[in-house]
Amino acid sequence: MTTRATRATRGPRRRTVVALAVILAVLCAFVVRLIDIQVVSASEHVKDSLQVGQLGSTHALTGNRGSIVDANGTVLASSMTVYDAQLSPNLIMLLENDKDGPPETPWDEAADKIAAITGQDADELRAGVAANLKDNPDSKYYQLKNGLSTDKYLELRDLGLVYLSMKPRETRVYPNGAVAGNIVGYLDSEREAQAGIEQMQESCLAPTDGERTYLRGKGGEIIPGSERVVDALDGGSVQLTINSDLNWYMQQMLAEQAQKQGARAATAVVVEVKTGKIRAAAEWPSMDPNDLNASNPDDWGTRVFGLSYEPGSTFKAITAAAVLDTGAVNMNTTVSAAGHEKFPNGAVINDAFVHGAYNYTLAGALIDSSNVAVSKFGTMIDSQTRYEYLQRFGVGEKTIDFPREANGVLHPAEGWDSQSLYTTTFGQHFTVTAPQIAGAYQAIANGGEKIDLSLVESCTLDDGTVVKPEAPEHKQIISESTADQVSRILENVAVQGGLADQVSIPGYRVAIKTGTAQKPKDDGSGYKAGKYYTSMVGFAPAEDPEYVVIVTLDEPTRIASSTATAPAFQQAMTQVLKTYRVPPSTAPMDELLPKFN
Amino acid sequence: MSRATASALLPEPVSPAERPSRPSRRLSPVTAPARNRRPKLAYALIALGGAALIGTAQIGLSLMITHDSFVLSGLNSQQRELDLQTSAIEEELAGISSPQLLAVKASELGMVVAGSASYLRLSDSAILGTNAGASGESTIDPTGKGTVHNALLNAKAQSAAENERSADDTSKSVDPDLPPPITEGLPSPTTR
Repeated sequence: MTTRATRATRGPRRRTVVALAVILAVLCAFVVRLIDIQVVSASEHVKDSLQVGQLGSTHALTGNRGSIVDANGTVLASSMTVYDAQLSPNLIMLLENDKDGPPETPWDEAADKIAAITGQDADELRAGVAANLKDNPDSKYYQLKNGLSTDKYLELRDLGLVYLSMKPRETRVYPNGAVAGNIVGYLDSEREAQAGIEQMQESCLAPTDGERTYLRGKGGEIIPGSERVVDALDGGSVQLTINSDLNWYMQQMLAEQAQKQGARAATAVVVEVKTGKIRAAAEWPSMDPNDLNASNPDDWGTRVFGLSYEPGSTFKAITAAAVLDTGAVNMNTTVSAAGHEKFPNGAVINDAFVHGAYNYTLAGALIDSSNVAVSKFGTMIDSQTRYEYLQRFGVGEKTIDFPREANGVLHPAEGWDSQSLYTTTFGQHFTVTAPQIAGAYQAIANGGEKIDLSLVESCTLDDGTVVKPEAPEHKQIISESTADQVSRILENVAVQGGLADQVSIPGYRVAIKTGTAQKPKDDGSGYKAGKYYTSMVGFAPAEDPEYVVIVTLDEPTRIASSTATAPAFQQAMTQVLKTYRVPPSTAPMDELLPKFN
Repeated sequence: MSRATASALLPEPVSPAERPSRPSRRLSPVTAPARNRRPKLAYALIALGGAALIGTAQIGLSLMITHDSFVLSGLNSQQRELDLQTSAIEEELAGISSPQLLAVKASELGMVVAGSASYLRLSDSAILGTNAGASGESTIDPTGKGTVHNALLNAKAQSAAENERSADDTSKSVDPDLPPPITEGLPSPTTR
């Protein structure tokens, strides 16, 4: 027996199916649309919401520029926030003229209070705002004062004035002023580093910006839980090898000595012999990065690294090292040298003092600083070898790649003419900077091992990691015995030379070499008469040298020779030995070397 | 089929008396609609209570979350305030630790930067160095011509001078009951 769906039962069932089908269709439409909105064009909609709907907001978070510290952690440069205050005159007037709710502090009284804090004149302030309103009745901006300290900012903020707004601005402060100012450098008004370590270590000091994004409600409130912050990273902190107290002393001493000697400028560099670290780099006139306008724009750069000059007699020691190292000359070799000689190739060489023909030893040539004698010693080796030795001692090569550092000029040996064949033995026809001379003497003092100079100790990043620069190169450029012999000669220069009394430091054995270099004329035709670039370089204690000091004076007028630098050198070296507690010399000096034979 | 045949095919009717007693059936046809029984109160209460609890819990948790953000913003503003005060104090100190000011203050006290130092070697009490005391002369003069510039100190000196000028207005009367100030050190006997 079968049951047949009668028309009566078929009807309701079909209605159900049709109804369900319709519902399913509508549901499908919804699902498709939903997928389209949420998945397919999701990013577009989000972008729309952020831009058009102003739902989301992004702020850049700026980090602070890193600080520069010296070898002991004394801060030489750091970032500071100052505030620029401005008034809204429109708002002042609106509040003043509001009859329903007069302001708590009327404008006159408020102006008095504001002026008392900022140090301005209250009447001028009121007049200024009134003039501003007269020009533009809707004026919303009147500059009150820029560069307010945080102290003043807090005081002004506590006044609770609605129309006073203060914008923070990051500036740089240099707590020690001009101490190592030329080394630290400065930023220009765009906060771009223009010189010195600020420029050299920009990659370490520059901060990394962060970001803060959040969703906003209709009234501008931040929707809780929607804030995402990427923290800004402050710049790293650069530690220098400079000792700022020693640098201050050098600057103070140079300023006094240079003015006493009537010089145009002066520099002093102190290098630690065993490590090649620059412990002080001072110059006068110096620059205070806090107040650039207080100094001459010529002084904003770096004389220490940027000025190259013909070194003169200080390089006689390098010639001596070269001839001793090659074995062409030993301590007993003598040459006959008079005060004025004409050489076979036509060159004419003069000594600084008139004398007859003496039989100088190498030591005597350096003690008397005889150009003729050193020319004869120097030409006992060929010029190419001397050129290579000059290169090995660092002539023509930058020391630390400081901004605006000078390479110095070293002409190739083939280009040396008959005069410069001899003058290159006593420091003419090539130029060096003071640090290059200090580096050359560091090699002599360090048993012949030259260590590249370094100024930057490390860079400490925001998260604490310490990044050290590449280790400086060590190179044995002359043998240890050569270095010992040259050191002994230089100690004899200090003891037997004409400046023995002025450079002696009680308790210590010192080795020095003076240099009185002629300054070339600006047009290149010979040298200026009577104007010298004097220098004195030395190291102490002579038996185990610890520090090399070079002091230079630019055109001293009171005494126009390297005698002018003697007191400055003596004071500089004394202070260095005191600062680093170098024990006095206990071993007596070896017997004096003979000047003549 | 004939009626007789049909009836013959039918099972024999059983008289009610002969019919064996059947067990009483539970199922019986519905004759009237069932009486409405009241639903159990407990179940309803539990269901509603559970729903209400869930709702309350959700509201409570979201309140706690948002409450934290208020506490956080309160602490943030406290920290900002303290940071500002720290910066203000640090700025006041800027420049004070510089060697220039130290040297000026020291020279005002009469201290000098002397020459080479002497050292005492403890192992054999030997004196290394010059073994001469410091002379009264300083190798440098921090207040003289060669002063190393520091704009921060100049600014402080300026504001100090301003404060002094305003403070000068207050009277500087000396209390007559106090003993006179000592200017040349305490008197002491000279010993040999």
